Amino acid sequence: MSSNRDQAYLKTRVGVLSARLLSPQQIDRLKEMSLRQLGESFDLLPIFEEAIDNRQKSRLVEQALLHRLMHELSVLLRPLSGRSRGLMLYWPRKFELYNLKTLIRGKLNALGMEEIRDNLFDLPENIRLPHESLLQAENVLEMLRQLDQGPYALIARQARNVFEEQHENFSLDAAIDRLYYTGMLRHANITDSIDKRGLKKVIGVMVDRQNILWLLRYRLVYHFAPSEAYYLLIPYGGRIQRDSLMALANLDGLETIIDHLPAPFQEILADAKHITQVRQRLDQTVSSELRKLMHYSPDAVVSALSYLIIRDMDLMRLYAIIQGKLLKMDQAMLNEAVPSNAIGARLAEANDV
Amino acid sequence: MFSPLSMKHISIQALTDDLPSASVILAGLNSFSPDTRSYAEEALPKVPGQRFRECFAQAKARLDKIASQVGFSPPQTSGAVTPIAEEELEQANQWLGTAWETCSGFEETRRRQLEERRSIDQLETTLDNFRNLHIDLGQLQGDKQFLETRIGMVPRAQVNQLKDALGLDHFLLFPFMENDNESHVIIVGAGGSEISKLKSVLDTAGFRPLEIPPELHAEPETAQTRLMQRREAVEIAAEALDESINGWSADSRKELENAAHILHLAAPYVALGEAARHRGNLSRLQGWVPTEDLPLVEHALHDKLPNAFVLETRDPTADERPLVPSVMRHNKLLKPFSALVMQYGVPRYGEVNPTQLFALTYILMFGMMFGDVGHGAVILGTALLMHRKLGSFTAFGIAAGLSSILFGFLYGSIFGFEHILHAVWIAPLTDPLYMLTVALLLGIGFIILVTLLNIINHLSQGDRIGALFGDNGLLSLLLYAGLLGSGYSFYANGSVATFWATLAILTLIGIFAHKLIEQEASIGERILVAFIETFETITGYASNTLSFLRVAAFSLNHVALAIAVFTLANMMGDTGHWITVILGNVFILVLEGLIVAIQVLRLEFYEGFSRFYSGDGRAFKPLTL
Repeated sequence: MSSNRDQAYLKTRVGVLSARLLSPQQIDRLKEMSLRQLGESFDLLPIFEEAIDNRQKSRLVEQALLHRLMHELSVLLRPLSGRSRGLMLYWPRKFELYNLKTLIRGKLNALGMEEIRDNLFDLPENIRLPHESLLQAENVLEMLRQLDQGPYALIARQARNVFEEQHENFSLDAAIDRLYYTGMLRHANITDSIDKRGLKKVIGVMVDRQNILWLLRYRLVYHFAPSEAYYLLIPYGGRIQRDSLMALANLDGLETIIDHLPAPFQEILADAKHITQVRQRLDQTVSSELRKLMHYSPDAVVSALSYLIIRDMDLMRLYAIIQGKLLKMDQAMLNEAVPSNAIGARLAEANDV
Repeated sequence: MFSPLSMKHISIQALTDDLPSASVILAGLNSFSPDTRSYAEEALPKVPGQRFRECFAQAKARLDKIASQVGFSPPQTSGAVTPIAEEELEQANQWLGTAWETCSGFEETRRRQLEERRSIDQLETTLDNFRNLHIDLGQLQGDKQFLETRIGMVPRAQVNQLKDALGLDHFLLFPFMENDNESHVIIVGAGGSEISKLKSVLDTAGFRPLEIPPELHAEPETAQTRLMQRREAVEIAAEALDESINGWSADSRKELENAAHILHLAAPYVALGEAARHRGNLSRLQGWVPTEDLPLVEHALHDKLPNAFVLETRDPTADERPLVPSVMRHNKLLKPFSALVMQYGVPRYGEVNPTQLFALTYILMFGMMFGDVGHGAVILGTALLMHRKLGSFTAFGIAAGLSSILFGFLYGSIFGFEHILHAVWIAPLTDPLYMLTVALLLGIGFIILVTLLNIINHLSQGDRIGALFGDNGLLSLLLYAGLLGSGYSFYANGSVATFWATLAILTLIGIFAHKLIEQEASIGERILVAFIETFETITGYASNTLSFLRVAAFSLNHVALAIAVFTLANMMGDTGHWITVILGNVFILVLEGLIVAIQVLRLEFYEGFSRFYSGDGRAFKPLTL
């Protein structure tokens, strides 16, 4: 996309849509709303009123929120063509890859077709995997043979390894995530964006979040050796590059790892007590950094991509609140599960993006 | 004849157990299209055959997979047409499940053989790589006290990361060969406590050790021979596998045919979908049937359905009309034209079916634009010679060829020669203005005709306002007449006749007023939109009429191209002359013939169909066997 008209159109669209993003105050208000009020505010009431169990309701809500996001994506795609469009269309592939993970895990664990189908996202045609043929596969080997034939041959190999050697799924998940971010970077490199730096920052922010979280999980929860933990990470983050990542993988203990993180993560995560807290603070920081990029990037594509990522995170928060309400969580638990964004916003503003 | 067949909505109340029979009976008639709108959900809460459908889907998927693997194609179904019971379908599905397990085993064996072939390829390349080092490859493998070495393959994209990761455990990685996706690497490091970490990270990285078989420890030539023997063994195994597959396929053919037959007969019941609902033993099935086929349906059900049933029929309600499927039954001659009409869209129920008009005008205009006895004869001959390949489109070729021949006689043209035949009507280039006038009159006639059809369509849908004031309604037609009359009187007498001018102005005011009223916006916007749309009506009629000048233009073009060919031919010697004439005619036939065919289609669709034909009807999709 190069024409000024298209840039202006997209910028305007992002400007209009950005009014839908949730402020910390709005998130706090949502947490105080009843399920009915949430349903009325987000057109989800028919789902809440259906005579189905909470698990099904939760699933329908997730699907409805995803449809909303996909609709907004389709609006933002309108003025885009060529490589910029390719980049924007690549971003939602993460949902397709969630589906791929679900399919592979489901088949590895010998789940029934219907059970797997129930857990798949319903995605638009242009980013959808050929689910039906993969679902119809009657055993893992058949599914792997099908995957071998397509663009996911590498994933099929990892999955075969997991299946034949009875390994855990980490390597499979990591391979899928790496495939996604590598693809994202490839698209960013070939796009004709006028703000490639901004574009790479968007991806870098996401990769850093992913790396910090998974490094902590691999090292502290699953007790992987440094080499194995490092191998499973993505070595091209924004602020945490290959060398820092190797050094971090060699460390032990939450506090030590956080102490050795580069700015601003060190300050943001200081005194975090557990990984959930780390995730929440990282999410808040990512959201704040992307908001800046959305507002100030000279390239409308960067703004649009940033918007979509923040919107996705917002909808995930909304989904978490609704789930909490469905499960009748008390307010304290809900506050812990979905904290206010105030800390992250303050810290992110203190640091240059 | 000029609109889709009249339809009836039918509802059959029968015993739930009789539904499979009813579906097969109806499918045999090709006259029943299920109506899958939800109905009577409270009285009949369930859709029957849920399990049947799931079983069918699984069995169908299995049969398709088996068929693609063993090259089985189901034969044309013959024999008794009987409904399929759920147990029978389950049994077939079960057999197909077992059969697919066997086939899946074949496929997995084939995959392993492929892997083995690749492995041999890689070993050969590895052997080539190490040949000059004069080392015993066996030394790279096996347990050693102080040094740990591994040789194998990793995904190429991950080599650098694995190298870094292994560096953390003080191991070194050296890639020594690469192909499309894989890198061959040697990993070296100190033995001891780090080995468990090495194994762990290599497993995670999907490291595939390259087993160096003992035979490679030998002299390179001997090793090469042994590898060839191994390859031969794989080829023999592959042949044996093919034989096993063929043998299994032959042994199982009868069962496969039986399964295919069962699925074929089960398909109509599955296709009913939500058109059938039930509560306990009582079911109801609803759908659409052409009125003329109703006695046939009734008779077949009475004759073949085992138990009593109630058949209710009714006409479609006004609200339902957009949902009623359109059935058009054409004879062989009209089939290709009908297929082209369907490219534009399916006629709405009750709407005029334009196939006959399309066929007539298409052939007429094609002949007018491409009139040449010789070229027409070639088109006709080609259509007859290729009738097997063209199928139902043969009639299209024959009609176009005959029309071209007829106009060729009228124009006196054969293969571009204008002086061999005497023109029965006119040679186009002798009076181009006359040709243009004829084309213009043809266009005016065509536009008046399609506008009248639009009025009929609106009236048949009960839309009187649309028929009178809408786009291409009566008022638009009168405006067109007014404009034509005014134009002609000005051309003939030098002044505009009052009658035609008054007619044009009054109808223009009427159309403008209607557009003003039908808008839902602020008054300023209404005036603007009404003005633009009224103006568009006038320009639309004018441009559409002028579009028909191309009919004459192409008839002139045909002659002009022939003249160009002959001019070139006359510049050659005897042989060159005839070669140029032949090649020129081929050029005219192929290129101009194609352009004319497309231009006529454009006139039909753009100038004709867009004025009266909505094309948004529903195609009739009957249950079939």
